[in-house]
Amino acid sequence: MLRYLTRPVLAAAVPAALAATVALTVAAPIELDKSVVEAQAQRVAAIKKVAPAVVAVCMQGGQGVGSGVVISPDGYALTNFHVVQPTGPLMQAGLADGVLYDAVLVGTDKVGDVSLIKLMPKEKGKPFPFVALGDSDKVKIGDWSLAMGNPFSLAMDFTPTVTYGVVSGTNRYQPPEGKGLLEYTDCIQIETSINPGNSGGPLFNMQGELIGINGRGSFEKRGRVNSGVGYAISINQIKNFLGHMRAGIDTDHATLGAAVGTAAEDAPLSQMVVKQILDGSDAERRGLAEGDQLVSFAGRPVTSTNQYKNILGIFPKEWRVPVSVRRNNERRETLIRLMGNMATEKETPDKKDGPAPPAPKIVPKKGPAGSGETAKMYVPKKGYANWYFNELERDKLIGEFKKHGDFAADTGTWAGEGRYEMGERKGDFRFEVSEVKDGDPLVKLKLNIESTLAPLKDTDRRLQSEPIGSGGLMLALYQWHRLLTTGAKGFEGLFAHGGTEPFYPYPADGSAPKSLAALRVDADVLKTKHGSTECKWFFSTKDHQLVGFETFTDKDYEDPCEVFLSDYKPVDGKQLPHRIEVRFKDKRYAVLTVAKYTLGKK
Amino acid sequence: MTLLRPPVEAGGVTAHDPNAPMTRHSTWFLAAALAAPFAAAPARAADPFNEVAEKANQKMVKVFGAGGFSRLNSYGTGIIISPDGHVLTAASQLLDTSELVVHLYDGQRLKAQVLAVEPELDVAIIKIRVEGKKIEEPTGLNLDYFDFAAAAKRPPAETGDWVLALTNTFEIALRDEPLSLQRGVVMARTKLAGRRGVFEFPYTGDVYVVDAITNNPGAAGGALLTRKGELIGVVGREIKNSLSDTWMNYAIPVNAKVDIKEVVKTKDKDGKEKDEEKVTTVTMPDFVALGMQGKYKNVTRPKTVLGEGGYHGIVFVPNILDRTPAYVEDVVPGSPAAKAGLRPDDLVSFIDGEPVASINVFQTWLKKNTRPGQVVRIEVRRGEALQTIEMTLGVPPKAATPTPAPMPK
Repeated sequence: MLRYLTRPVLAAAVPAALAATVALTVAAPIELDKSVVEAQAQRVAAIKKVAPAVVAVCMQGGQGVGSGVVISPDGYALTNFHVVQPTGPLMQAGLADGVLYDAVLVGTDKVGDVSLIKLMPKEKGKPFPFVALGDSDKVKIGDWSLAMGNPFSLAMDFTPTVTYGVVSGTNRYQPPEGKGLLEYTDCIQIETSINPGNSGGPLFNMQGELIGINGRGSFEKRGRVNSGVGYAISINQIKNFLGHMRAGIDTDHATLGAAVGTAAEDAPLSQMVVKQILDGSDAERRGLAEGDQLVSFAGRPVTSTNQYKNILGIFPKEWRVPVSVRRNNERRETLIRLMGNMATEKETPDKKDGPAPPAPKIVPKKGPAGSGETAKMYVPKKGYANWYFNELERDKLIGEFKKHGDFAADTGTWAGEGRYEMGERKGDFRFEVSEVKDGDPLVKLKLNIESTLAPLKDTDRRLQSEPIGSGGLMLALYQWHRLLTTGAKGFEGLFAHGGTEPFYPYPADGSAPKSLAALRVDADVLKTKHGSTECKWFFSTKDHQLVGFETFTDKDYEDPCEVFLSDYKPVDGKQLPHRIEVRFKDKRYAVLTVAKYTLGKK
Repeated sequence: MTLLRPPVEAGGVTAHDPNAPMTRHSTWFLAAALAAPFAAAPARAADPFNEVAEKANQKMVKVFGAGGFSRLNSYGTGIIISPDGHVLTAASQLLDTSELVVHLYDGQRLKAQVLAVEPELDVAIIKIRVEGKKIEEPTGLNLDYFDFAAAAKRPPAETGDWVLALTNTFEIALRDEPLSLQRGVVMARTKLAGRRGVFEFPYTGDVYVVDAITNNPGAAGGALLTRKGELIGVVGREIKNSLSDTWMNYAIPVNAKVDIKEVVKTKDKDGKEKDEEKVTTVTMPDFVALGMQGKYKNVTRPKTVLGEGGYHGIVFVPNILDRTPAYVEDVVPGSPAAKAGLRPDDLVSFIDGEPVASINVFQTWLKKNTRPGQVVRIEVRRGEALQTIEMTLGVPPKAATPTPAPMPK
């Protein structure tokens, strides 16, 4: 009705307006400053470049629930955890091409409110448009930004809505909402308009690089629409969790294992001090004490509670970060293993009596036809968002590692000999690991003294930690031999991808490192359990070579034996390390320089 | 008008501004703008606001005071206007405490004290206090500050000019965290048809209405700046437009001016006392200049001591303490208080600009300074809002209706 009424009016008005414009244009042609035209052209180009990768996340059937963005040609896309919460592990995703794709949940970071999903191409192998990840540490207050997504589920054809505004704040802290989840740490505050439906959608800089995932706003009297204060999870935080999420892990954030607070709330200048230390935490073992002043954390200065929460909040649990404390005017830096954050950290043993707890009601929502293919890509498992992707990434990692040498045929007794160095002491060493079929494996080690261990029979922790001061070198050598020779089938307890973690190999000459952060090597992690022993294996992300591993005799209360592997050289055409550094409790135990390996066949 | 000004003037948007919205000016404006000399507008960096925001942030404080209950926030924003630590902020309930605290940009937490409040302008001046120094003594802080007098002398911003707002909206920033930056355009410089609750807003002068959502909790007292970082206004409180029922985003200009009518006693030719209505102009620059020296006198305060005291009809809560807050328990029907619309649970906070710390203060002041027929301006806290109510004092009931003595028979 309205349409018919307005049409004739428009018809009459348009020519008149055109005529007026033409007349004026002739009189004085509009000549815009070049920089105006350039700024606009850049903005238009940036939007054009990234719009095809912006996702409308939908329930099965196409009902919009939020937004997302594709970050790789094979269809991995980021969104908010709170967006995929209602969809379950199988959802659909619309792109700007108007096509609704099937998608599956890959990994989740509930505390950080981020999830990784994977879109399935309609034609096998066809690449998706995707965006590049930017560096959110470079974002400054006052920078222009573009938010894109599907607010109010407006676009039925999934064409993203674009909003434009400035960054109002960086490194903002917004406390968790309910049960410690959805905590926004170190996030980007924007005045760029974001509304319901923008959740999970991308925030870009003016180069079209992804700097954040929009997910939250401050609302009060004006209702739940944009009130000039929105928040995006910084992409640099997400990068820390991306390896975990790609590996299908239900990731967790971290705590220090010590309570940190301001020395005095009303002091003129705030100082952060350690208030309390958790028993058995790595912070305790690394010598942190109550009253220590926290100077810097992971390389960033700590001067307020919000800042501390910001820095702590960007790391996954179990990551090791350099922490610097001051005590009596003495400054000390140490690497601390972070603890888990969620209450479910420690498994409670099954209770035999008492009523059974209600079964969790996570029923994957079965969608209409077409979800069959993606349904096969979802495998539930405790501790994982989707075990299917863990197996996928794990096997990929092992496959890459095997390119350096496949020891599947060398399951006999291994021996290594050469020179050892333990502080001032030097001498010859020899180790031998034998895997006896249907019998007990045995490790023999001759360093300055000779010792033996039957790793599966000698389950006493004291024995397992021998030689004294190594934290369990014989046990470590046994696990290493097993990883190289048997692979997945040798680890009945656990054999899973552990995401990505920083790894810190110490200077080869034994000197004190200038900065712990400078030692950092990014590594893919494999977690295993065989017998009662848990290990963490670190493969350089660059070339997938095994750069070291940690062997835990008691994961909750004792430091692991740390083994650093380097100087890889071929042995029978297979790469093996010829320098093995063993560390325990912040100290170097020994350095073994291997002269000769003997690899026994079956 | 805009086109007549030189292109780099006071944060105005000009035709060669790379970040200017393209559609705001009409074709005519743009075409005409070409006639103006193409004075060198320096090419702007890709991030034009970062430096401005960083510098301005050092001249701002986060204010913490009274509140924290029934949706009254206990936090706000302030603008440093002297190196010694004078701060201009909104005249909100926040200041109704002896425990006022500010956080500087570098994270320092310092105490502060109210020096002057002008409800007519809805602003106040507070001064940062340094441990061990008296309020009159120099603090020795040597802070970076906005030169208010210079700011007030600059030509006002025009409709369409770009502006930046720097506020502690939603208390996002604490200690050394920078305030939140927003950018927008001056939509109008106009009088505000606003309301808090259902009552008129105390400030009746011009405001800058902006298109950014600036007036959120905690933003009051923040700075409205040109894109070059020059101070042009004080971000106002959260109020709703009574006509459209929408939340307003506004700032009070640095050169704000309000005309106030007051009744003064004069003597006519015959030497007989009479009431005369006098118009006094209250300006922000005067308030700031005098307020910083501690010499500001609220204009509505009557100059002469009238004695007696007018009748109001407010029934306060039982006055059991030396400092019982002036909470209204009830109003006498038909009394001046009832006519003025005072309600039970209102907290009388100011009377003619004087803070009302207790019932005693209210009564004493009233007795000393008023008389029947006089109009007083009362600020009451009702729910989350501070409201201004004008009340014409009456004659105390006994005197008003003297019962005639019965005729002797």
